[in-house]
Amino acid sequence: MIRLHDLHKSYKTHFGERVVLRGINCTFHRGEKVGILGRNGAGKTTLLRLIAGVEYPTSGRVERRMTVSWPLGFAGAMHYSITGADNARFIARIYGKPIAETVEQVESFAELGEYYRMPVRTYSSGMIMRLGFALSLAIEFDCYLVDEAIAVGDARFGERARQALADRRENGTLLLVSHVPGLVRKFCTSAAVLRDGRLIRYDKVDEAIAAYEAG
Amino acid sequence: MTAAEASDPGPQHSLRAALRVQLRVIGALTLRELGTRFGRDNLGYLWLFLEPAMLGGAIGLLHKLTGHAMPGGLDPGTFFVIGYVPFYLLRSVVNRAPSVISANQSLLYHRHVTLLDIVIARNLLEGGAAFGAMLGFLLFFGLVAGEWPHEPAKIVLGLAFMLLLAHGLGMLVAVGSVYTDLFDRVTHLLTYLSMPLTGAFYMVFWLPTELQRMALWIPTVHCFELVRDGQFGARVPTHYDIGYALSWIAALNLLGMAGLRRARRHLVV
Repeated sequence: MIRLHDLHKSYKTHFGERVVLRGINCTFHRGEKVGILGRNGAGKTTLLRLIAGVEYPTSGRVERRMTVSWPLGFAGAMHYSITGADNARFIARIYGKPIAETVEQVESFAELGEYYRMPVRTYSSGMIMRLGFALSLAIEFDCYLVDEAIAVGDARFGERARQALADRRENGTLLLVSHVPGLVRKFCTSAAVLRDGRLIRYDKVDEAIAAYEAG
Repeated sequence: MTAAEASDPGPQHSLRAALRVQLRVIGALTLRELGTRFGRDNLGYLWLFLEPAMLGGAIGLLHKLTGHAMPGGLDPGTFFVIGYVPFYLLRSVVNRAPSVISANQSLLYHRHVTLLDIVIARNLLEGGAAFGAMLGFLLFFGLVAGEWPHEPAKIVLGLAFMLLLAHGLGMLVAVGSVYTDLFDRVTHLLTYLSMPLTGAFYMVFWLPTELQRMALWIPTVHCFELVRDGQFGARVPTHYDIGYALSWIAALNLLGMAGLRRARRHLVV
């Protein structure tokens, strides 16, 4: 379970304080696949980063009762100056996973060919995404936080990513943020809409999409 | 304990489990820092020790060759080398501090990597470099000139105190750099200007009484004097107060750790 207690987030800018989230209360249970719909700039990515613990809320609290991945779909979790394989080694070490096994597992899922032994800065954006996703799968989190970027990547990999997440359907949890209703329909069993810094949950994906498109 | 549990140390986890995670993370970070800084080219990791050794050696050699006499009849080469190595440690820790967070931000995508882990990993390497270089020099002086340290433990202690002081100060500089770019601009200047004050290249007993008292307010002076006591023993008078140095270490480290916790909440990754 992940519970968000009255999350507020604002950033200081040159033009004063910019408020992004204005009090979000929500609970995500184990096994749920939730799509979070929001327009560009609605604060989807910010919300995902707070849930992941990459950044901290200005006020409020994130309660995590399962392991939560870093936000997938960003290059953030990786090191550009070292190779994909070294990244796998590093992540295996931090999370206490067997190193050789992790390196192998990531290699076979990411399908980077010889690029796997080259610095990440030489990768295309699609390759970086595949590596990031493969790394997170190797750690086996309870809950995956996915930015839409990964789902829209190349079709073949998108399908495999979906399959990998579906394999964990029983207790695997997914939070997907997107501005594309179609993606949410494809991946998720319930949905929420993020608008004006608040999050409203709907039991049915279609209800959420209707509310999103009406807004 | 499974890896999944370890990756999210909740309140139900014991202190020991949390400590184990932290040690694992620091170990991984240190290895990675080694890899990114020195790579696998030519001499690789050896550069860690060679860099301070070459600088220290050059300073020592210069003073040896200019051949001016030292109070107490100390060998100028030895004197400047054992002063320079701890100073190098202080300077490299503090000078790198303004960039330590921004250069490692991507690590914070992994929730149980803390700012403290990042700073510790980096400073452990700096400490390792200084200890390695110092060991090399002491062996060299011993084997070539037959001048062995009087009490090696005091040299180790002096260098360890310097590392802890620098670590505490470095944390505060790193915290400041989260809030303003100012630290990035002035840190190098300040470490450069502070060089004559730190006590790296003078001894307290050289100074008139009034100045001695002032010099002993400076915490780093105690570290250098401790190292000199370890090397030269009773051949020259040394002045230091271990309690005073430890108080500075405790204060800087507590403030630094508290500051890092606070800065983490405000950090935009």
